[in-house]
Amino acid sequence: MSFSFDLYVTHRSWLHRVDPRAKLAFVALGTVALLLFKNLWVMLAALVALHALVLSAGVPRDRVVWVWRAMLPLNLLIPALWVIFYPEGDQVLLRFWFVRVTALSVMRGLALALRLNAIAFVWFSWLFTTDQATLVRSLVKLGLPYEWGLVLALGLRYIPTFYGLFGVVTDAQQSRGLDLSEGRWLARLRAYLPILVAMMISALRTSEKLGMALEARALGLPGVQRTAFREISFRLLDYVYLAVVLTLFATLAFLRWRHGFGVHPLYLLAGW
Amino acid sequence: MSEIIVDDLRFSYPPLQRGGEPVPVLTGVELQVEGGEFLSIMGGTGVGKTTLCLALNGTVPQSTGGRFGGDVVVAGLNTKEHPVALLASQVGIVFQDAESQLFNMTVEDEVAFGLESLGVPRAEMRERVEWALSAVEMAPHRHRSPFHLSGGQKQRVAIAAMLAMLPRILVLDEPTSGLDPAGKAEVFRVISRLRHNQQMTIVLVEQEGEKIAEFSDRVAVLHEGQIALIGSPADVFSQVDLLHEMGVTVPQVSELANLLNRHKGTRHVFTTLDDARQALALALKIAPTGRATRQSLESAGYPRGAPPVATGSSAELHQGPVTTNKLNPQTLNRGSPCIQVRHLWYRYNGESDAVRSISLDVEEGDFVAIIGQNGSGKTTLVKHFNGLLKPTRGTVQVYGQDTADLSIGQLARQVGYVFQNPDHQIFSPTVRQEIAFGPQNLGLTGDEVDRRVAEALARFHLAAHADAPPALLGYGLRRKVGVAAVYAMRPRVFILDEPTAGLDWRGVQELMSLLSDMNAEGHTILLVTHDMRIVAKHARRTVVLHEGKVLADGNTRAVFKRTDWLTRARIEPPQIVQLARQLALSGVGMPTDVLTVEAFCDAYGAHLTGQGVLHEL
Repeated sequence: MSFSFDLYVTHRSWLHRVDPRAKLAFVALGTVALLLFKNLWVMLAALVALHALVLSAGVPRDRVVWVWRAMLPLNLLIPALWVIFYPEGDQVLLRFWFVRVTALSVMRGLALALRLNAIAFVWFSWLFTTDQATLVRSLVKLGLPYEWGLVLALGLRYIPTFYGLFGVVTDAQQSRGLDLSEGRWLARLRAYLPILVAMMISALRTSEKLGMALEARALGLPGVQRTAFREISFRLLDYVYLAVVLTLFATLAFLRWRHGFGVHPLYLLAGW
Repeated sequence: MSEIIVDDLRFSYPPLQRGGEPVPVLTGVELQVEGGEFLSIMGGTGVGKTTLCLALNGTVPQSTGGRFGGDVVVAGLNTKEHPVALLASQVGIVFQDAESQLFNMTVEDEVAFGLESLGVPRAEMRERVEWALSAVEMAPHRHRSPFHLSGGQKQRVAIAAMLAMLPRILVLDEPTSGLDPAGKAEVFRVISRLRHNQQMTIVLVEQEGEKIAEFSDRVAVLHEGQIALIGSPADVFSQVDLLHEMGVTVPQVSELANLLNRHKGTRHVFTTLDDARQALALALKIAPTGRATRQSLESAGYPRGAPPVATGSSAELHQGPVTTNKLNPQTLNRGSPCIQVRHLWYRYNGESDAVRSISLDVEEGDFVAIIGQNGSGKTTLVKHFNGLLKPTRGTVQVYGQDTADLSIGQLARQVGYVFQNPDHQIFSPTVRQEIAFGPQNLGLTGDEVDRRVAEALARFHLAAHADAPPALLGYGLRRKVGVAAVYAMRPRVFILDEPTAGLDWRGVQELMSLLSDMNAEGHTILLVTHDMRIVAKHARRTVVLHEGKVLADGNTRAVFKRTDWLTRARIEPPQIVQLARQLALSGVGMPTDVLTVEAFCDAYGAHLTGQGVLHEL
C-alpha cells in the first residue's frame, strides 16, 4: 500500500526545467492578476491558457480531472451562495420562497468559481512540475533559513509515513475489537483515542531516531558552510519565462486600470 | 594506536519517569578495535548494543543525556571533546530502522545530505554520491523516493549515505533485522564487499550468528553491561550453552557441533555450513570403509587418545522440547477446518493483485507457517482471516461463516491477530489496562476481565510489570504484552505476524514454547515469518507464497525437501536442512528430510553406529 502526498509529476518537460523561482513569480503574479478580474470570459480564457500550460508540461489528463474533482464542492457552493445572498440586476430568472435568482448574480457566481479554479491551476502548474526537494531548495535560495527549509522538507517527507502508520495502527486496534463505526460523534472520537495515543508514541520514537540520524549526517557541523547538491540557477529559458510572465502581468494590469477591462461580470469593457 | 578504544565505559540513561532512578545499561565496557578490522557485536535484547553503537559517535551521551563514565576514543578523537556532527565525519552509523534514517525526497539527495553538511564542493559531491551508490548497487534508483523502496534497498541507501562521507569507521546496528531473506541477502552482499575495504574499520551489531561467522575477524558478546566474551568466531561460537544463557543466537551448525560433542564425544567446532559439511562428510565417508586412521578421525573432530564412542541413545536426544515435526499431519486427530479460503483474489486500490486465486483450508488445532518474500501476499492473505480485508473476489469462511458478513469486532472473538510491531498497538498507561482493552471491547466487564488479565499476566510472566507503563518497557517485554493482549481475548485461532523479529534467543524460545503450549491446548496457530529455524522446528504445515499464489503447501518436512520450490520463492532453509541435504547428495547415506539439530544428531548417530566401525577402532 504505497501512498504519497507528492503532487509532482515525474517528467522532463520545458516547464519542469524552468527554475522554481521563476515559476514562483508566476504563481504570485498569476494569483494577483486573477484577483484583479471578475469577468466570466476572462476567467474562461485564463482557464484555457492554464490547461494548455499544464498539458504542455506533460501533466497527464487524469491529474487535471483530479483538480476539477477536488474543486467540485467549491464550484457548486460558491455560485449557489452568491445567487442566494447577492441578488443584483433586474433580469430575474427564477423566484421561489425568498430567493430571487438574477442573471447577473449567476454570472458573477460562475465567474468567482472559475476564478478559484484558475488560481488552483496556477498553483498546481508549480506543484506538478517541481519536486519537493527542488521546491524547498528554491525557497532557501530566496532567503528562507536552511533550518526552516529542512523542517518543511521533513514535514512533507513524513506525511505519507504517518498516514501509513495511521492505517497500520487502526488495523492493529481493530483487531483487538476496537469498534470505530458505532455511536454518536463523541463516542466515535473517543474510539479513536487508542489509535491516536499509539500513533503519538510511535511518532515520538521515530522523531527521536530521526534526530540521531540527522546528527549522524553531520548536520550543523560547526565552522562549515553548508554546500548544496542541487544546483539551481537562472538560464535563458528562465529569463524568457520570467519576461513573458512580467509582460503579461503588466499588460493585464494596464488594461484593468486604464480601461476597466474585465471588471464587469459579463462585459469585457465597462459600458459595453 | 587502535582505531576504537573503549575504556571502562559506564553509562546510565536518564530516568524514564519523573523522580525515577537513572537506568544503567553499560557498566564497564572495555574494547579495542584495530584499523581495518571487522568486529561483530552480539548480545541479548536490551543488553545495550545500540547504546554502545551510539557511544561510538558521541550521540551517547551528548544527545541522550544520562550518566557517562570512562572514555571512548574513535579515530584518535575523544567523544567527550568533539560534537557529534564532527565525529560523524569519522564514524558513520547505519541504524536498524530505515524509516527514521532516510529523510530525503530522493535516493540521490539522501546520499548527498551528509556531504552537504561537510561542505563538500558540488563537483566532488557528485563523484562521491556516484561512487557510494554504485558500491551498494543502487545507482539505477537514484531518482526514486526512499519511501517507495524495498526494505533491503532502503538499508543499502542508508549504507551509501554513510560511505559517501568516507568515514574511517562504519558502525551498523542490526541493519538486516526486519528484512525478508532476499533483503538480508542483498545487504549482506554489500557488507561482505565492504569487508575487503582495508581502509575501513567495521563494527556490526547483529542477531544472525550465521552471517557473523562468515564475515567477522572477531566476535564480541555484550552481557550485563560488559563485554563478556571476545574472540574469533570459532572461539566464541564453540561456547554454545554459555551464549544461549546470554540470549545469543548461535549458528545452527555450532549448535550441532555442541550437541555432537556432548552426545558423541567429538570435539567439533563449526561456525559455517562449509566447516560442518567438510568435517562430517569426512567422518561419514571413512566410517563405512573401516580404513579410517586415527589421524583422519582427529581431523574429523574426534579427540586424540580416547576412541570415539557413540553415546546417547535417540530417546535421550529427544528429551527436552519435543520436536513437533515428529507429529505427521496424517497421524494427527484432525479437527474440522476453521478457516476455508476459496479462490481468493485481493487487489489494493489502484495496484496489481496482491493475492491471486488462493484456496486453502486451515484445520482446527494445526500449527501453520506462512512463508515467502515480502510482497508475496502473506500479510494480505492472513488479514482476510480476521476481516481486516474483505475479498475482492472469492470467499473466506471462518468457522463456517462468510467473513464478508462479519465485522472485525465479531471476528475478533474467534481470530486473534498479533501485529508485527508491538508499538503499533500499545497505548495504555499500564500493562494491566493494555491487556484489559481487548476483553472490554468484547463487552466483558468486572470480574471476567480481571480474571482474564490475571491469567494472561501469569501465562506470559508479566505479573511483575502489571502496573508499569508498557511503552517504557524493553522491546522483548513489549512484544510479550502485545501477544498477551490478544491472548486475553481468548480467540481459538492465533495469527502472529513475525512474532520473533527483534527477539533474542531466549525471547524466541520463551515465546515459541508458549505458542506450543497453546497449540497443545487446542488453539490453531498461524505464523507469518521469515525465521526458517522456527518454521522447521514448530510448524506442522508450511505454506509457501510466491507472487500472490500458493507455491507449495504441505507437511513442513515435505516442503523443505523441495529445494526447487524454495529456490523459486528465494527462501533459504535452515543450515541443518541444507547440511543434511548436502551430505545426502554427496552419497554418505544421510536422510534428506532432517529438520532440527536434534533430529540430525540422531540420524547421524544412527548412521555411524549402524556401520559399527567406530566401536572397533
